[in-house]
Amino acid sequence: MDGKIIVVTSGKGGVGKTTATASIGAALALEGKKVAVVDMDIGLRNLDVVMGLENRIVFNIVDAVKGRCKLKQAAIKDRRIDNLFLIPASQSDNKNVLDPEEMVRFSSMLRRHFDYVFMDCPAGIERGFENSVAAADEALVICTPEVAAVRDADRVIGLLYARSITPKLVVNRIVPALVERGDMLSHVDMVDVLSVELIGLVEMDDQVVVSTNTGVPLVMQKTSKAGAAFRRIAMRLNGQVDLPIQVPEASGGLFKKFRSKFGLKK
Amino acid sequence: MIANFFKNIFGKKNESKNVAKQRLKFALIYDHLEVTEDILEALHKDMVEVISKYFEIDQEAFKLDIRRSDELSALVVNTPILSAKRKRKQAQPDPT
Repeated sequence: MDGKIIVVTSGKGGVGKTTATASIGAALALEGKKVAVVDMDIGLRNLDVVMGLENRIVFNIVDAVKGRCKLKQAAIKDRRIDNLFLIPASQSDNKNVLDPEEMVRFSSMLRRHFDYVFMDCPAGIERGFENSVAAADEALVICTPEVAAVRDADRVIGLLYARSITPKLVVNRIVPALVERGDMLSHVDMVDVLSVELIGLVEMDDQVVVSTNTGVPLVMQKTSKAGAAFRRIAMRLNGQVDLPIQVPEASGGLFKKFRSKFGLKK
Repeated sequence: MIANFFKNIFGKKNESKNVAKQRLKFALIYDHLEVTEDILEALHKDMVEVISKYFEIDQEAFKLDIRRSDELSALVVNTPILSAKRKRKQAQPDPT
């Protein structure tokens, strides 16, 4: 196997990197690919709780990289989704226990065992970021339509380009009603400002909270709009590059739009 | 309601996202202009080298700055010239 390493990053914290990693990883596993999601936030792990696998951790990435256990022992198999594995972060170390060189070596082993490996990058652009991007073939930049997130995304995009990685943008937590009213940056604005390729638009979705509360993967909840958006991103990553990007729309349909055009509705 | 009507028909000036976009564009231009000390030093060295090919300059007094104002940023180079160097004749390729 000659798998792909994809780093999921954003610069700013709290924009949905972990949710995106878990969801896109799960979606690709549901497509039949062998997927590992790796929590690179050493010292502050949380991909495990988001995926509902927190009770099954024995070994972690630091153990695996340092050779204290086998890769198989550190990779926790998801019981609901075949082919989905989590390599958890260590909670007691700090980010400097790993270095980019070790990650490059470890990643070549990951490539042999998995079709796709997603690195859930910590916030910031320090060692944790360096480690996460060290062996990356591709990058997903997650960004919400807010000035702070866009600015940080721009910084991260610059750093990725400096490493000859061309990132793709996921706009997360879009509130269509706010966009229509002109009170939220649209994805067009964001692409314009960041000059980067778009790979998916994910709208704000209460189901994300439900999913993290329960640890049930978002992409398994049939009614979740965000889950569906992440599934489409996964399919695009998996070669369906022509799959059109759906722009989230405010519910209410044509009549409401008509009324809002004529000022009958705020 | 009437105000809203006109606002929607004629202008989008009040949309807060336009303010956000404009602010972001300026912030990013500023961010991109930030240069690290290393880069400035390397540029300093290269420029001294290049200028020295054509002019005898006082290398100690050579100054390199980035000046910013609201409208633009400029790279300001200031160096005293001691003398112009005589242009060396290019070696002519031998006609064979």
